[in-house]
Amino acid sequence: MHKLRHTPGDPEEALTKAIEEVIGNGPVYVLGLGYVDKADDGAGVLVANALKKAFPDRSFSEHDGLEGIVLDISEKPCPGTVLFVDVGNIGEAPGSIEVVTMDEIKETEVSTHKVPVALMAAVLERSGKRVAAVLIHPKSLEFRGDLSSEVSKAIDVVVASVSIIMESRKVT
Amino acid sequence: MKTLEVVPLARVEGDGGITVTLDGKKVKKVTLDVHEGPRLIEQLVRGMKPEDDVNVVPRICAICTLSHKYAALRGLEKALAIDPPEKAQLTRDLMMLGENVESNSLHTYLLALPDFLGYPSAIAMLNDYGDDVKRALRLKKFANHVMEVTSGRIVHGENPGLGGFGKYPSKKQLSEIALRARELVPDAVRAVELFASFEYPEYPEVDTNFMSVNAPNKRFGLAGDTILISKGKETDAEDYRKLTSERVVPHSFAKRSDYKDKSFAVGSNARLINMGERIEGRAGDLFKEHFSDRWLKNPLFNNLAQAIEMTWALEQMPEATEKIAALEDPKRTEATRDTGSGTGAVEAPRGVLYHHYEVKDGLIEVADIITPTAQNLDDVEVHMKACAERMLADGRGDDELLPALEMIARAYDPCISCATHLVTLKRL
Repeated sequence: MHKLRHTPGDPEEALTKAIEEVIGNGPVYVLGLGYVDKADDGAGVLVANALKKAFPDRSFSEHDGLEGIVLDISEKPCPGTVLFVDVGNIGEAPGSIEVVTMDEIKETEVSTHKVPVALMAAVLERSGKRVAAVLIHPKSLEFRGDLSSEVSKAIDVVVASVSIIMESRKVT
Repeated sequence: MKTLEVVPLARVEGDGGITVTLDGKKVKKVTLDVHEGPRLIEQLVRGMKPEDDVNVVPRICAICTLSHKYAALRGLEKALAIDPPEKAQLTRDLMMLGENVESNSLHTYLLALPDFLGYPSAIAMLNDYGDDVKRALRLKKFANHVMEVTSGRIVHGENPGLGGFGKYPSKKQLSEIALRARELVPDAVRAVELFASFEYPEYPEVDTNFMSVNAPNKRFGLAGDTILISKGKETDAEDYRKLTSERVVPHSFAKRSDYKDKSFAVGSNARLINMGERIEGRAGDLFKEHFSDRWLKNPLFNNLAQAIEMTWALEQMPEATEKIAALEDPKRTEATRDTGSGTGAVEAPRGVLYHHYEVKDGLIEVADIITPTAQNLDDVEVHMKACAERMLADGRGDDELLPALEMIARAYDPCISCATHLVTLKRL
């Protein structure tokens, strides 16, 4: 089990290193989760959208239909890693970032009519892919609320760190 | 007095729970409690222009977003005397087929199937039923694509509008949909075979009423201007209030409905009970093979009905796409008045969904939305209470009772988020 808590102000390199430690060989895919109408809840989607500009074939958000994306990635013969990006209560200051491995993506099927993330993670793992999650601690989940400055900065940090890794593993 | 609780109720959309109140071995009450906060959408859209409303109301739910869109379009087009072109109607039918497959594939394979196979979740059944989990993902991926092509996006598409569409699917997109739909029929049939192979317990069986739209032209379908009540009886959708007499209860943020003081059910089983004989093709054969009188009493058969309906939806797509492709892209039909009222009734995956509007001088004065889950809640409780009474009389313990009640609630495929947008706020 690996866990890194990256608090606001920590160097970006530390987060890059922590993510590199949990990923395996092959390309890295980003799947961003969340609801952008609920203030910081959309952080995962915003990270995915930002990365999509440079990596359109490897960064996806909830708006792209993640079940199908997961199915496609699971059927690729080569190894790879899927990073789910979402907000999560990690008990730290807003904007803090935590990197967690598959073991910690709990089987949460409560309050959802979507394919649970834990199930998507299990499908990916069964197909030989590595799975990890990057969680950002939110400040507000208010409906129609604004993105907080703390989470906005955390999004920039995650995008910068993951970009470096994805750039180094370009699919040829 | 003893109280048993299932909180939260897993594998449903939204925040709910079940409370069983016992007096000794006697069941005093079983309630399906809805904790999801009120959404107040109907108040939000008052004063809006109709064209804005149809983009706001689908936000009630990201699962049946297109059903909300379509119900709003039907209600507002009646109010404004808009007669949409044939190609728009056919494209709306196709988008509803996509939503039906999207929802039914998820519910049958991933949310209900673990109950029947005895697994705590779809994750737990992955080792033994990994191919079925992949079937669900395949079906959902395809259905997402159908919704994206027709509505513009997988969730909350804005392409369908009053009087038509912003853009129609291309012939290439339509032919690809037809081809893939044919390929995926076996995945839907596999769901039918699975749900037809299970033993269905008799504990929850109680006679009830079933309501669905009456699709036009004596065909099975997902929209209509009249409502069928357990075969035969038919009521104009404009009289929906008589069919759904609403009330509030203390334990739920969602309103309740009854029909002549009795509970009723809506959803796939209601549609098949009322219109199943109209289905042709493989799905029609499957319906004839598996339908029995027990469907009229046992809500667990809703899952088998969903699987048959999913087969029907896939079989409909080649014909639907062919008809759409044969027509030129029409212009949107404009409103012919700015004051009027109308009710749109469509079949969301979970059952009849009503959107009623009163428009004056081009602005919405009244909006009334009645969701299928709100209509089903009384019926869920009736069947759960019967099940609890019989299981306890049979000497079954709490450890067996609570999962059985959860299974009943899940069989209705409740969407609690949808059901809680319509609570009246009273300040005394």
